[in-house]
Amino acid sequence: MKAWVGVFGLMLAFNASAAGGQSTLDLLKAIAFAGHQTDYSGVFVYQYGNHVETSRISHIVDQNGGYEKLEGLDGPRREIIRHRGQVWCYRQNEMVQVDSGKGGGKFPMLLPDQLSALSENYKVREVGTDRVAGHETRVLLFQPRDRLRYTRKVWVDTGTGLLLKSAVLNDKNQIVEQYAFTELKVGKDADRSWIASDEVKNLPGLGQVSQDKTEPAVNSGWVVDAMPGGFRKTTELVRPMHGNHAPVTQLVFSDGLSAISVFVEPASPGDDEKEGLSSRGAVNLYSKIVDGHVYHVVGEVPPITVIQVLNSIRYNGK
Amino acid sequence: MKHDISALMDGELFEDEAETLLGQIRRDPGIYADWAVYHLIGDVLRQPECIHRDMTDRVSERLRNEATVLAPRSRALKQKARVFALSAAASLMAVGMVAWMTLQINPETAPQLAMQQSGMRPVNLQIQPAANDYLMAHQEFSPSNDMNGGASYIHTVTYSPEEKLQ
Repeated sequence: MKAWVGVFGLMLAFNASAAGGQSTLDLLKAIAFAGHQTDYSGVFVYQYGNHVETSRISHIVDQNGGYEKLEGLDGPRREIIRHRGQVWCYRQNEMVQVDSGKGGGKFPMLLPDQLSALSENYKVREVGTDRVAGHETRVLLFQPRDRLRYTRKVWVDTGTGLLLKSAVLNDKNQIVEQYAFTELKVGKDADRSWIASDEVKNLPGLGQVSQDKTEPAVNSGWVVDAMPGGFRKTTELVRPMHGNHAPVTQLVFSDGLSAISVFVEPASPGDDEKEGLSSRGAVNLYSKIVDGHVYHVVGEVPPITVIQVLNSIRYNGK
Repeated sequence: MKHDISALMDGELFEDEAETLLGQIRRDPGIYADWAVYHLIGDVLRQPECIHRDMTDRVSERLRNEATVLAPRSRALKQKARVFALSAAASLMAVGMVAWMTLQINPETAPQLAMQQSGMRPVNLQIQPAANDYLMAHQEFSPSNDMNGGASYIHTVTYSPEEKLQ
């Protein structure tokens, strides 16, 4: 019921912004609101290069907050569940908690700061209408102000504000990656049975979120000198990483739409095999050992950007 | 043959095919000339600031001229400066020529050298499953979660066909 109220509220906001020709910022707020407050489930196709795969997604909001499940339908079993900032991933036959424990992702979404950053770094405009998975959509284009970030194109469901299709394009206007729903159920039709399943009830650490808000901000001493204009540091933390890693320092920079993470950790034997540039769709990763530390730079940005960022990492501490 | 050379330069040949072809390039001056021309074409298309050319003859000629200016002169400073510039230019060309000749002798080492110098693997390399933790850690704080919702986590659950079951 609550979700339906949310959907109606959203439809009003969405249609108002459409009819009144209000700023695109209102439209973006509507998209973010829809993504977080609407119950939906569906199947989408994800493609980059010659790789195509199908995934199922389900997002349900109840009195305990939002539950979200993403599972691969092709190849080996892969699954992710998110709930109130906690993230679990299927690994070695069990669900393993993989988030930082610092409550990332549970903050109010699209803060005014983020919206203004977005409109500073991208030219946002509506470029037409289209039909996706049987739904009418409005098409928005996010054109970056420089070549250090990708162009985005999104297809927004006119009824619900949900993103039904999304494409990332490079500076030659070639598609780097895209995904599109082939099937979507919204509201009471959404698949919600799984949130009461044993799998969810048995998630390790479910509901155990650090409530310690007084934790001082981390100042690791690591800085990036050549961060592209418009990227601002949003998070700095020292986090555990799954596996045998020592605690890792992570700095996150955002331009409102894309993020770049910088990871720094002490180098260990065998790390030199990880060095180099690699990619997966729109995500690029560049790794390098410098003076006994391994740097990893990850982001939904072009290769040149992660390289530029990594080469300007510096320790400015004591 | 020309098609093979083109494929080799694009890195599209298998290792054994490439080795066979590189052997032929070394042995056959005709094929070698094709190889050189293809590189010249590639260089021109990429529009660099300078282009490799066989300038042996011209450099030799300049060096012959150099010999005559070794004797002291009482001319103006300007003249000296010009001579110095000329010999510097000749030296630069000589360096260029040496580099070019190294390529002639050992063409197959050139790509490897280039790779070592840049310290990078080819750009089209896929992110290895071992790096998934970093992608996951990054995704937790990416604003793409707001725009794309849970679908943005696709990067962390996607698989490559060569990936083994864990």
